Amino acid sequence: MARQSPYLITNYSKDLRLFGSSWRRAGLLLLAALFIVLPLQLDDFWLSLLATVGIYAIGAIGLNLLTGYAGQVSLGHAFFFGVGAYCAAWFGGGSAVGTRDGVLFLDLPMFVWLPLAGLIGAALGALVGPVALRLSGQYLAIVSIGLLFVGDWILLGWVSATNGSQGLRVTAEPAIGPVNFSDLNIFGSAFSPEQGEFWFVWGLVAVVALMAKNIVRSRPGRALQAIRDRDVAAEIIGVNPARAKIGVFALSSGIAAVAGGMYGMIVVRTVTPETFTGFGGLVTSITFIAIIIVGGISTISGAIVGSLVVVTLRQVTSRFVDVLPFLKQTPNDDGLMLVGQFNLIVFGLLIIIFLLAEPLGLVALWRRVTTYFKAWPFSY
Amino acid sequence: MSDSSTAGTKMTTPLLVVDGISLRFGGVQAITDMSFDVNRGELFAVIGPNGAGKTSIFNCINAVYKPQQGSIRLDGTEIVGMHPRETAEMGVARTFQNLGLFGNLDIVDNLMLGRHHLMKTGFLSGAVWWGRAKHEEISNRATVEKIIDLLELGNFRRKPVGMLPYGIQKRIELGRCLAMEPRLLLLDEPVAGMNLEETEDMARYILEVRSSLDVTMIMVEHDMHVVMDLADRVMAVDFGIRLATGTPEEVQQDQRVIDAYLGKAS
Repeated sequence: MARQSPYLITNYSKDLRLFGSSWRRAGLLLLAALFIVLPLQLDDFWLSLLATVGIYAIGAIGLNLLTGYAGQVSLGHAFFFGVGAYCAAWFGGGSAVGTRDGVLFLDLPMFVWLPLAGLIGAALGALVGPVALRLSGQYLAIVSIGLLFVGDWILLGWVSATNGSQGLRVTAEPAIGPVNFSDLNIFGSAFSPEQGEFWFVWGLVAVVALMAKNIVRSRPGRALQAIRDRDVAAEIIGVNPARAKIGVFALSSGIAAVAGGMYGMIVVRTVTPETFTGFGGLVTSITFIAIIIVGGISTISGAIVGSLVVVTLRQVTSRFVDVLPFLKQTPNDDGLMLVGQFNLIVFGLLIIIFLLAEPLGLVALWRRVTTYFKAWPFSY
Repeated sequence: MSDSSTAGTKMTTPLLVVDGISLRFGGVQAITDMSFDVNRGELFAVIGPNGAGKTSIFNCINAVYKPQQGSIRLDGTEIVGMHPRETAEMGVARTFQNLGLFGNLDIVDNLMLGRHHLMKTGFLSGAVWWGRAKHEEISNRATVEKIIDLLELGNFRRKPVGMLPYGIQKRIELGRCLAMEPRLLLLDEPVAGMNLEETEDMARYILEVRSSLDVTMIMVEHDMHVVMDLADRVMAVDFGIRLATGTPEEVQQDQRVIDAYLGKAS
């Protein structure tokens, strides 16, 4: 009997496979190899940078579901990111910065508090969701900024729980049962915290990305895209817009809170309001938006690629602040502008350039290149 | 056939009964005391000059608008007061005058969305994929592919529909309606803006759908050749008032219809 062509798709199950072609399977294999090998090769600066990239990628996947797939523009994403970070301190273990006593901390294991943070974020997102039933586009974006300032007011005002502007220290460890990723010990060989945290973060990135991809390729995700493209028609064919919008707000906020919990535990280890709410929160939200625009709106991989570019850029400028003469670390140093200000300008430029030149981001660029070579030497 | 006298009467009672509906927007009277029946398996056409209220009738039947008076019953169930998506679940499907497709999605996804109300996967089972989500995707995909075959859309299966030609998009929209497994299909100007060849294609697909699927259709259309050739019965409306109902020949001869289109001879 003749051998079947590998390109011939003979059933729907085959057609639905995420890694259907041999190229894609090779890519997956390459990523898996990188996942294992990178921590053994890179130094700790780059590993902790990549862990931060992974955490932002998770948060950006959440925002991409909301903004990219469902078309609901939100600048309040940092608020839910912050909810997760504070949950890390409250439920995973922490202490108040300074002298304040009486803040209640629980020492729950991570497999309890991290999902709990996600659930709390999702619940808060579901509360905000109904606003999107009445508003859309730029109006929703402006209302969602309000969330950041309400959040600021809560975090600064609710001192007995948040310790105000001084914030909370996070002592939670990324440990699942006896395996502590910050203190990894496999068969007698010890690994640095950065190595273990890389594996933990990127393992979770893979899980979240797979779940998000599954959602967008099945019924609930198609409903989101239908609402984005044409909401009246979506309702007439039987999509419930309220359920879809509230669901996607809950989902995206829950994912943001999980990412925020990891951010509090792994990246900053001290959570203060200024990263998540108020103007600082707006900067964080815009970072997320820059990530999905640079990477590729309405793609799951775009959130990861965008995070790789945007977060790396941000960390690298603050690392090499001494080499770049026009940048300064603190307001009293010599230099034209602060690193943070410079980064904001760069993000703004990136957003503008990508929206003008490649509105669907780096992923679309990649697709264009691969399509070209698939058809090579023909131009179509 | 002797055991089912109820089924017998069910076959002879009309599928859709519109009984004295009136629709106002503020001071504008869009529909005035309109009544008509649509029989099972019938292709019922609604004609009338621009602004006569044809699309408003559709919007009442699939509950986008709520008429202030009157009732609309599908198989005996009252539609007035429902949500649009509830009428979708009851089997009312419609196409739009100026297309209601999801432009960034491909044909398969657009047609799969037609099956949204027949599927159950939610956020959780969707995220898990293995199990219900995958099973539903595969079983519904088979139905979708049959429709793609019927409407000869296979060549464009994975193209974003927003990039396809207008005539194809109209056909995709018809396909999405069929994917909903409708009992009542509302076609809002299915051949508007098409050239002769596309019009003939669409007419052929409508006839093919009629013969291969048991579906009742109401069609709003300005192209009188299409209406007179395809429709079993025609209703003419003007200024929200029914002028005449009957076979295409009867309506063509009706003096009020001629007056509405050509003006009164004075």
